[in-house]
Amino acid sequence: MLRNFVTLFVLLMLAAPAQAAVKVVATLPWIGNLAREVGWDKVIVTTLVKPSQDPHTVEAKPSMIIAGRKADIFMYNGLDLEIGYLPLILESAKNPAIMPGTSGNFDCSKFVRVIEKHTHADRSMGDLHHLGNPHYHYSASNIVNVAEGISGALAAKDPANAAFYRNNYKNFASRVAAHEKKWRSANLAGKRYIAHHKMFEYMALDYDFFIVAYIEPKPGIPPSAAYLESLIELMNIIKPDGILVTGLSGQKEAEFLSQKTGVKVKTLPADTGAMPGTDDWISFMDTVINKLKQ
Amino acid sequence: MRSFILTAALLIAALYPYQGHAADDLDLRLKKLESEMTRQTGTIETQQNTINSLKEELNRSKPKDDLAIQPAKPVEGKSSGLFGGSLMSNPYISVILDAKGYVSNLKNSQLAERGIPGFASEGSGLRNGFNVDAAELMIFAPVDPYFNLYTNIPVTKDGAELEEAYFITTSLPAGLQVKGGRFKSNASRLNAQHPHAWNFAELPLAYRSFLGAEALGGENGVQLTWLPSLPVYTLFGVEVLQGDNPLLFGDNSNWGPHAYTAFARLSFDTTDNSTFYISPWVMFGKTKSSAILPADQTTGNSFELKGDSSLYGIEAVWKWKSGKHKLTLQGEYLYLAQKGDLTENDTAGAAVNTEPLKRRQDGAYVQAVYHLDRLGIGARYDRMELFTDTFERSGAQQSFGSKPWRLSAMTEYELSEFSRIRFQFNHDRSARDGRVNNEGILQFTFTIGAHGAHAF
Repeated sequence: MLRNFVTLFVLLMLAAPAQAAVKVVATLPWIGNLAREVGWDKVIVTTLVKPSQDPHTVEAKPSMIIAGRKADIFMYNGLDLEIGYLPLILESAKNPAIMPGTSGNFDCSKFVRVIEKHTHADRSMGDLHHLGNPHYHYSASNIVNVAEGISGALAAKDPANAAFYRNNYKNFASRVAAHEKKWRSANLAGKRYIAHHKMFEYMALDYDFFIVAYIEPKPGIPPSAAYLESLIELMNIIKPDGILVTGLSGQKEAEFLSQKTGVKVKTLPADTGAMPGTDDWISFMDTVINKLKQ
Repeated sequence: MRSFILTAALLIAALYPYQGHAADDLDLRLKKLESEMTRQTGTIETQQNTINSLKEELNRSKPKDDLAIQPAKPVEGKSSGLFGGSLMSNPYISVILDAKGYVSNLKNSQLAERGIPGFASEGSGLRNGFNVDAAELMIFAPVDPYFNLYTNIPVTKDGAELEEAYFITTSLPAGLQVKGGRFKSNASRLNAQHPHAWNFAELPLAYRSFLGAEALGGENGVQLTWLPSLPVYTLFGVEVLQGDNPLLFGDNSNWGPHAYTAFARLSFDTTDNSTFYISPWVMFGKTKSSAILPADQTTGNSFELKGDSSLYGIEAVWKWKSGKHKLTLQGEYLYLAQKGDLTENDTAGAAVNTEPLKRRQDGAYVQAVYHLDRLGIGARYDRMELFTDTFERSGAQQSFGSKPWRLSAMTEYELSEFSRIRFQFNHDRSARDGRVNNEGILQFTFTIGAHGAHAF
């Protein structure tokens, strides 16, 4: 009995490295999508956080730890977005290949022009990410940079297919560039929005619109009734073009504000796969821009 | 932009409908509005500045359409860290304050000596009124690419105490990891949790009965764990510990390490939103304890056990989390097998009698905790001696009274991830004497410094 067990064990352990594909573990859906975009059939991608889950509050589940154990490359958003579970997963996975400082530890934010860095931050200001705004996945220029970073990281793990990864990246970049023209013609410049969380600042930069106020008085802190009251007064003056929320949080408050002011709520996908027709990054961004245009 | 808003504000201020409020009420509202406007204008200005500077930077560097020829190098000057990613702190430091208000129908003197007869002689440690057990100081950081180091120093009114100080290896192959130093045993999940991570204000009754109010506590020793590369999560671990816990093991000048643990964990996701976890474990070793039985009330004689103990446990957890809803169901069963010599010492410390002691006792708890966003409610039921209550002195079964049990209910609210208020009520019948302890606990937990881990 015991011998059978041991044999089964050994077999299972040998079975895993038999596949040649690079095993990528990505924390967020969009990262997994980018890895697939660049790696195609040469990678096996496991995504830890589901599109319906808030990446701020995820718990380090054992299934995530075992995924980390088997990863060749571990890709994450960075800028402290995954601070609650990433360090725990990396340490508990007992996989030296993905520890910080190795080629298997890929911090996507290293390829991003980070905005809103705070030299001074304490938690009376809310749950501020003082390394900078971590929600850069709404930004075409940054996403293309990250995709190129991924192509380099995959090439380092699998040099035989370096040209393949590079080509896929170039292909992705030119498709994004083509779409970007369309997105720019959506004429979002000068529009003024209210947002629930500091999610859309990179996009505001890219397309020259404004987030004039937030439903959260401070990041991660829910609004009081008095604060919502003052927001209504402000909205009646400013007459914003919409209230931006994602499916993850803030919808109730947004609906309330909308009722009081008549300003429309625009629910944007929080990540790829969060809404129908957002399965890859380009269609995700298409949906975002279309929702803003409406 | 700014002038637009200011004009609008003035306009609104002038036209603001006067509905018979007192003049200073209107004044107050206007001031509030004004300050809000200033704040919002500030936000817009900051954003405009960021836009301008970034645009300049972009224009200087290159045209945007040449995406394909960009070099793949990281943006410079970017720093991020493993633990808190903090720019200001290496090592990472956090302080956790756990403050409790406590009311009970019992007096403090009764609470202090209210043990669980047949299990542990010590009271729970809480007193009517204000209780601040400790400010927990945690310091942690990677040592180098091979080790992480953690320390946990609760500072009490009596001074600082080294509860934990241990390293964890980060570069061993084959899914192996070594932990060493002083640490809370990972044999059971609850044993390793810090008080601020508990779902209730105190540990389950079975833990207090077999291990003490703080479970095994910090133990000097070494641990080896193995996470094989399997389709599902399975973890195996063994530990060799000094065995200082005064209830289950105990200190003896002649003994070296004399406590051992072994544990296995299995977990898999039952759906995208739910996870199942099960873990059998055992702690065993030599025991020298005088905390099992209280001193004899008439003679003042104390009792000390010298022998061998094995404590077995099995825990099962099922968690479901969807959107803002989270439900956790968990339960654990503990079984103690203990055998040895019970020595009765008089007040001068001289042995007056020695007799064999044999124990086979068990206990369990089940609990359910439900969270909706920041609000949580939970209930727990504790019961000792479910299937066995053997406590034999010289072969004669001892009778302590009715079986101990306790019912707890709690509700908690998290103002942010870093502060929590919890109210808990316990109906406690663990003292076997028919005297109930109805206790109310108001608990405040605050965390500053490095971000804590969202452990399973």
